[in-house]
Amino acid sequence: MQKPLDRRSFLKSSLAAGTALALPLPAFAAEDTLNVALIVPSPAADVGWSHTLLAGAKALEEFGPGVKITLLENIAEGPDADRIMNKTVADGNTFIILGSFGYMNGGLKLAKAHPEIAVLHASGYQVAPNFSPFGARYYQGTYLMGMAAAALSKTKKLGCVGAFAIPELITSINAWTLGAQAVDPSIDVSVVWVNSWFDPASEQEAAKALLAQGVDVIFSNAQDTPSVITVAEEAGAYVFNLNSSMKAYAPKKYLGVVGTDWSPYFKANARAHLDGTFAGAAAWLSMADKVVYVADLNPDIPADVAARMAEVQAATLAGTLSPFTGPISGQDGTEKVAAGVTLGDDMILSMDWHVQGVTTPLPK
Amino acid sequence: MAAPPLLSLEGISKSYGAVRANRGIDLTVDPGQVHAILGENGAGKSTLMKLIYGVETPDEGRILWKGRPVTLANPADARALGIGMVFQHFSLFETLSVVQNIALIVPGSRATLAGRIRDLGREFGLEIDPDAMVHDLSVGERQRVEIIRCLLRAPDLLILDEPTSVLPPQGVERLFATLRALRTKGMAILFISHKLEEIRALCDVATILRAGEVTGRLVPRDHSAADLATRMIGRNIPPPAHPVAHDLGEVRLELAGLDHAAEDPFGVSLSGLSLAVRGGEIVGIAGISGNGQKELAALVSGEIAQPALRRDTVRLMGQPVGDTGVAGRRRLGLAFVPEDRLGRGAVPEMSLADNALLTAHGQGLVRRGFIARAAERAFSARVIAGFDVRSRGPEAEAGSLSGGNLQKFIMGREILLSPKVLLVAQPTWGVDVGAASDIRQRLVAMRNDGVAILVISEELEELFEICDRLHVLHKGRLSPSLPTRTTTTEDVGTWMIGGRAA
Amino acid sequence: MRLALIRRDTAARGAMIAAPAVALVLTILCSLVLFAVLGKPAGTALYALLLEPFLSWYSFSEVLLKMAPLCLIAQGLAIGFRANVFNIGAEGQLVIGAIAASALPVWYPDGTSALMLPAMLLLGGLGGMAWGAIAAGFRTRFNANEILVTLMLALIAAQVLNYLLLGPWKDPAGFNFPQSVLFPDAALLPILLPGTRVNVSLLLALAASGLAWVVMRHRFSGYQLLVGGMAPRAAAYAGFSERRAIWISLLVGGLAAGLAGAAEVAGPLGQLQRSVSTGYGYSAIIVAYLGGLNPLGIVLSSFLVSALFIGGDNAMVSAGLPVAAVWVFQSLLLVFYLGGLAFLRYRLVVMHRPAQSVP
Repeated sequence: MQKPLDRRSFLKSSLAAGTALALPLPAFAAEDTLNVALIVPSPAADVGWSHTLLAGAKALEEFGPGVKITLLENIAEGPDADRIMNKTVADGNTFIILGSFGYMNGGLKLAKAHPEIAVLHASGYQVAPNFSPFGARYYQGTYLMGMAAAALSKTKKLGCVGAFAIPELITSINAWTLGAQAVDPSIDVSVVWVNSWFDPASEQEAAKALLAQGVDVIFSNAQDTPSVITVAEEAGAYVFNLNSSMKAYAPKKYLGVVGTDWSPYFKANARAHLDGTFAGAAAWLSMADKVVYVADLNPDIPADVAARMAEVQAATLAGTLSPFTGPISGQDGTEKVAAGVTLGDDMILSMDWHVQGVTTPLPK
Repeated sequence: MAAPPLLSLEGISKSYGAVRANRGIDLTVDPGQVHAILGENGAGKSTLMKLIYGVETPDEGRILWKGRPVTLANPADARALGIGMVFQHFSLFETLSVVQNIALIVPGSRATLAGRIRDLGREFGLEIDPDAMVHDLSVGERQRVEIIRCLLRAPDLLILDEPTSVLPPQGVERLFATLRALRTKGMAILFISHKLEEIRALCDVATILRAGEVTGRLVPRDHSAADLATRMIGRNIPPPAHPVAHDLGEVRLELAGLDHAAEDPFGVSLSGLSLAVRGGEIVGIAGISGNGQKELAALVSGEIAQPALRRDTVRLMGQPVGDTGVAGRRRLGLAFVPEDRLGRGAVPEMSLADNALLTAHGQGLVRRGFIARAAERAFSARVIAGFDVRSRGPEAEAGSLSGGNLQKFIMGREILLSPKVLLVAQPTWGVDVGAASDIRQRLVAMRNDGVAILVISEELEELFEICDRLHVLHKGRLSPSLPTRTTTTEDVGTWMIGGRAA
Repeated sequence: MRLALIRRDTAARGAMIAAPAVALVLTILCSLVLFAVLGKPAGTALYALLLEPFLSWYSFSEVLLKMAPLCLIAQGLAIGFRANVFNIGAEGQLVIGAIAASALPVWYPDGTSALMLPAMLLLGGLGGMAWGAIAAGFRTRFNANEILVTLMLALIAAQVLNYLLLGPWKDPAGFNFPQSVLFPDAALLPILLPGTRVNVSLLLALAASGLAWVVMRHRFSGYQLLVGGMAPRAAAYAGFSERRAIWISLLVGGLAAGLAGAAEVAGPLGQLQRSVSTGYGYSAIIVAYLGGLNPLGIVLSSFLVSALFIGGDNAMVSAGLPVAAVWVFQSLLLVFYLGGLAFLRYRLVVMHRPAQSVP
């Protein structure tokens, strides 16, 4: 049951985010009261997915002293999460941020039962008048990292430790592969799925398995701890990850971060909620929205590649470049995107195939 | 003047409530002497050793160590003097290594201790790897650890409580070699046992205990095993009141060439056991405990079932039952009073009423799978009234009864099942004199009513009093049938130590 | 001088009442320190932890919802525990039960038959029993320790669930997320209390409790299991089959856990997903022992443990307690309570040793 993105509302929200950042925030009166609840599936540690969501939510405190943020971490998906959502609303929270796909059905029910609240839901696909799914266009950043990886790889073998084979992660891997091939067409990418959002032991095992195959650049795709990062650093392989920088864990071999800064999006929606103008819509946030960014790039990246990366980033920001512009072949060599055609968002959002160059078959 | 003895006891007495475990005991032990303390179960040997080792304090009398009176308030005092003890049940931590166990008690660094353990091992034939984990050791090796732990403190006196009861025969030989080596070093050894051959083989002097009193001091090598047995069991066995002979019924319980290989290394293997018990007779199994009594009882009761191939070796009411379980044999009319009451004959945490249900469930106490509470209470009330069980009634927990009263309850429960065959192990252990006499009368009355009864007992007097015939069990083999009318206690004593009657 | 615990002749009635009260007071005192260190409002936290589950209708209904699987599983486990058969892997039996029950709605996602729900419960129960039967077979045939086998089987069950959700049973419209289709209404348990999530599985749990009480209290078969647990040699002496006790224990435990698993997917979850395994099978072990392995005690303990869980969730929301602090609070209460229970059977005495005199 996938709903195509509503471009208009998407534009509106990104526009709002833009203004929020650009202007010196005049309108936030001290009497604004806003009770925010953030529910995340893992501990909101110093790094990782939950951490960036919390940092984004904390930015709402700029609205004034009337903003109260309640963090509910380590909440298992399922009936317990549903109850906790209910409890947050009963306790007077009206702006709810749900940090995991698995909270979708419960969150949707909650939104329907309480029209006065606004719910933002990470990584989902369902939309309701007061229920907005949101996600980040990580692929814009991973394409850049692919270019860097190809420039630094000696074995020409790249590897990815992935959490779940869902479109969001598949897209990131495909863009990474395409970025690498833009620098060196002979690049191979292997993927190991650990089928968990949080399993540091398995993640490290997966990383070691990749290294054993000769991989010398690793993509830690949606891990919440530096599990993969530390393994790669020890083995002398370059490594990058998503959401927040883990450079501290790999001072030598850290390739960079495809980071997310949710504060522009959260602020815009909170403002809309306070003003009574909140409207449920899917938001797929990009570099242009200042949500997705690339940082902490490794100085080992050769200057010529770094220059090319800067060009690509500028074109991405300008909206003139998408990694998913044809010709693109699937793993079996068949044409997936014809030359000159750029995939629409709906096609990217439901991507269930790998591009040529990813050697691991996708789990069925 | 001669040096004083190492240890002397003068008029030592110790009572537990009404039980006088030790009465006026005198004992002297000299250096370089292996001194046996000989006696039946319950003769007071263990109590005496606890007094010497400071586990208990005597009510009367005094203990002299090297001629000076001492008070031993606890084992630490005894160890400080130079007394070491190896218990029947070991006190080692299985999850620690040998040297770690020893370091808990003996001061010194691990490395030094390990060296001394190896030295002692070489000197006395007690080789053991100091770094081995205790749980990996055999029972014999664990005993060596216990002995080494004592020896490391260089004691003058070493007490060994039934040390051979846990050892296989080869282990016994090895232990004896160690003890002889210690003797030549001048150490005194107190050796507790009821195994006569061993005492004759090893000991220089023996003190015989019976019913808490010293009944003899002798040099065991100068006496026959039969003589020792008689002295240990006691001369004054009352003249057997042989039951009146009467007509016997059919064979109800029959063992035909029953073999059993012990499953654990310290069990006793049985070989070629044959006997028959007819309706209307009591057959006794005599013998010193540890000669296969437990195994025999379990093989007859069905707690140990045989493979189907050997089902014919046990026959009950004419049917082969060797491979039948307890329930099946009970259905054929077998009832059984085991030697352990708590945890086997009865569940301590359950009421007497619920304990009646244990074996009497076939007596209308269960209807359509439901426990008939009224019938259960009535049955246990009948047992309590009929066998003078002193208790608060059917609701009393079995564990709250004294041993004798619980024995009466179990005996009564099994008798009220109206069995065709009754197996009784140690019918009167721990039961007071009056109740014991009651129980014996009940057994004889059942015999007169035509029940086939097999009694396993260590009390020879009791067997002579109630049995028509006896077999003696020795090292897993049965003597021929000995009619009690024409057999003397001396004959039985000879069989008990493995000899043949003259 | 030293302290020693001496066994009492009979359980102390006073201690029976005092134990929970003392445990509660001690827990509150300790947690006041904890909350002060964390800088959290103690009053709000304690209200949310201890009182709100009983004072707000919604929280109370959630207590009942969570109590149902805990109670059901604990009743099944307690029967085995009393027979000294330690089924530690009820979580695995629950997962297999949930899987077996989900087969029907996964294969017939548009099913409307009234038979769907009873068939799901039946399949769930059978699935749990089958998982328990593996452990029983290993124990009776190879004398393999059932604690280990059931625990290992729980890990295997989790992998079976993973396989199905990532592969054949994945919702085709679910963007590769590991979960099944949403079940049709015919596959969902009816709601018992309107306006809440409490479904008829609560009745199932209470019925099972009554049944367990009858069996363990009044049936000869229950008595045989008790004897086997209290005094195995007495059971052998009386001729009660140990194999039978093992089979009954593991089958009943598996049945209860399997039913609970079926009730979870057909109840609050409404689909098969990985979160079906949230540790009910393990929590039920605590529930069973807290309830003294007594069927009526378990009804009470499952209610209280469930309330404790709900209270913990509440405190995270209302008082902003970190989840670790909630766990500390819950563990403190259990530890103090179990410690207090020791005084039911034992009393503390001060031992004076006689003066030593060694010349």
